Amino acid sequence: MALISDKDRDTIRTRFDESLTGHVQIIMFTERQSPIIIPGKEPCETCAQTQELLDEVASLSDKLTLTVHEMSSAKDEAEAHGIDRVPAFVFKGASRGQVRFFGIPSGYEFSALIADLIDVSNGTTDLSEETRKYLSELTEDVNIKVFTTPT
Amino acid sequence: MAVESQYITADVIEAMEFPDLSRRYAVRGVPKIVINETTEFVGALPEEQYLEQVKAAVETNGKNQ
Repeated sequence: MALISDKDRDTIRTRFDESLTGHVQIIMFTERQSPIIIPGKEPCETCAQTQELLDEVASLSDKLTLTVHEMSSAKDEAEAHGIDRVPAFVFKGASRGQVRFFGIPSGYEFSALIADLIDVSNGTTDLSEETRKYLSELTEDVNIKVFTTPT
Repeated sequence: MAVESQYITADVIEAMEFPDLSRRYAVRGVPKIVINETTEFVGALPEEQYLEQVKAAVETNGKNQ
């Protein structure tokens, strides 16, 4: 069964059709379900579902593609994106800086995901002139962490 | 914001899934925002106030260097 309802798929597809201008690659890092239980190592409980969700999102526009990396065999790629845990994913498009998601993007995070995809596709945001001016003049690294929960 | 500046990295973190991070950053309510490990606040702020927090974090950073 699909994770995104038919009604939501239609809404998102229309929104993507109207708003996406540039191509966005969603790069996901995951961990295969292992049949072996390793003591002290928690299995990734949301990896499979996150991948399924991203797969469904990517299928809603031909401007979106999903690339999935197995964490254990893509350590360099993960490190280049600053990814140290799974599930995680980043967007590659017209964004100047980087947006990273850690954990399954459900609930509020899901709408953030859709909005961010659109911004990254266009390389623009609806932030005010003042904010954008300040950001364009930044010359040092800034990291913003936003903690959310599924509800 | 990360879309607008190459210097910004924005991380969206599912707090329940990563209790180690939630503990490290003392997340008790969401959304909790932590900028450059130094500036933090809970709740959605209007854009101008959000920007003020970013500015404060950048200034704190400058003083520490």
